[in-house]
Amino acid sequence: MSFARSISYIFLLSIASCGNIIDDLSPSGEDKRASIEIGTEGFGVGQLAPDFTVSDSLGNEVTLSSALTGSKGIVFYFTMWCPYCDSHQENMQSYVIPDFSPDIKFYLVDYVNDSVENCRASQVSNGYGNAPFTVLADTQQKILTSFKATMGTTIVIDSGGTVLMNEEYKKTKLLEILGGLQ
Amino acid sequence: MGAVLLFPATDAIGASCCGGGSASSLVLPKFSDSMIDISFDIETYDGFWDQGGEYIPNPEGSDLMQYRLNSGYARRFGSRWQGSAILPYVWNRNNYTGIRSSTDGLGDAAFSFWYEAFDNVMCIWKVRSLEDLKPAAYFGLTLTVPTGLSPYDDIGNSFDVTGRGFYRLDGTVNMEKTIYPWTAGLLLSYGTHFERAVNREYGNYIKPYHKTLGDRRLATISAGYTYNLPMMNTITATAAYSYLDEASGTIDGSEDPATGFKKRSASVTLAYATMDKDKIYKIAWNKSINSDGWGENFPTTGIITLGASYVFR
Repeated sequence: MSFARSISYIFLLSIASCGNIIDDLSPSGEDKRASIEIGTEGFGVGQLAPDFTVSDSLGNEVTLSSALTGSKGIVFYFTMWCPYCDSHQENMQSYVIPDFSPDIKFYLVDYVNDSVENCRASQVSNGYGNAPFTVLADTQQKILTSFKATMGTTIVIDSGGTVLMNEEYKKTKLLEILGGLQ
Repeated sequence: MGAVLLFPATDAIGASCCGGGSASSLVLPKFSDSMIDISFDIETYDGFWDQGGEYIPNPEGSDLMQYRLNSGYARRFGSRWQGSAILPYVWNRNNYTGIRSSTDGLGDAAFSFWYEAFDNVMCIWKVRSLEDLKPAAYFGLTLTVPTGLSPYDDIGNSFDVTGRGFYRLDGTVNMEKTIYPWTAGLLLSYGTHFERAVNREYGNYIKPYHKTLGDRRLATISAGYTYNLPMMNTITATAAYSYLDEASGTIDGSEDPATGFKKRSASVTLAYATMDKDKIYKIAWNKSINSDGWGENFPTTGIITLGASYVFR
């Protein structure tokens, strides 16, 4: 029995000593967003979006300014072609895009493939070959890094280049923000 | 001789893209005092079922793995009562053609209490009366504690995720009947997640909101055959089929389309036990079916589990 007790103590101690590798067990709902200096360049809401140059999945060069040209705003969704991403993408395709395209441009940012060809292959095999998204091949993770994004991150940028949303996909919030651009 | 319950790896939910590292259950044999259990899972991600149930393989050239070391301890509190705790440690290995990631952290811990609705060993050799057909019935409550790193804490990106971030309470009924050499089992479970506040996502503070995941249901049927070896040691082969679904969650009361899923899987377990069932070694293979219609909105995976238990009497 002493051995069993020892094991249980080690077990409890290992939980107690886990420090920064353990999740917050009593999460806070406090708003801790830092104040942002409006007009500076960055990924935060209210900041000016950083510029980028990448290829889309068909080999066309896309920059921030070319994306914004002729549109009231753009939406980026960061995908790794997973079920979580697929459910968001389908939801956006069904409930968001029909009300805002073509005034708003919608982009999927593929940051997991290493080439435009592989990016296109993933787009087609996942059923988005003819979908109303332009797929950006972020092969060097430049957009991912500059917007501090990850799987599911949804970014809205208005025609002036200001970031209006940078967080996980939420249909209601996205609809509300895009409604303000119309 | 006591029955040895080793649940197949059916409810381990893991995903390199959406958390994971949940523990499975651990139940003590009758008349034993305590048990330690160590197991190691090797989970390979093949692809996923989309929301319509169509199977979609992972991007060409990708290699997505999760490894889990599960440390478990179970202890008896009375002739019919026992409790257990399982804590996994999780390693995520994600290789795409354009990005590689290797991270690790604690998974979600599970704490269970079980009531055994029987006083004697219910495994029999021959049916002599109707009473002999009565199964061993266990009624359990399991609290999953979100010790794993979730998207709502201070992590850099989705590759760091090792837990789901929600407390969950599951009620489980498990019935098992052994008429040597055959064993049949049925496990039914219903779980509910507790709503939580979220004020950050992947390390970035955002406007706070409340989120919960949907209720989940699990059903597993199993059938086993026990071979008696020399010295009364045994090898038990068990095949199981599981259905798991989870309803959609909510964000500030509105449906979250990314969170509901369905999954069907099959597993085969081989367990070697010594005569008095104090040492048990197991190897298991769990596989979701990579075809259309066998799941929705969930990764398809294969899990190989190697485990060992030691029972104290």
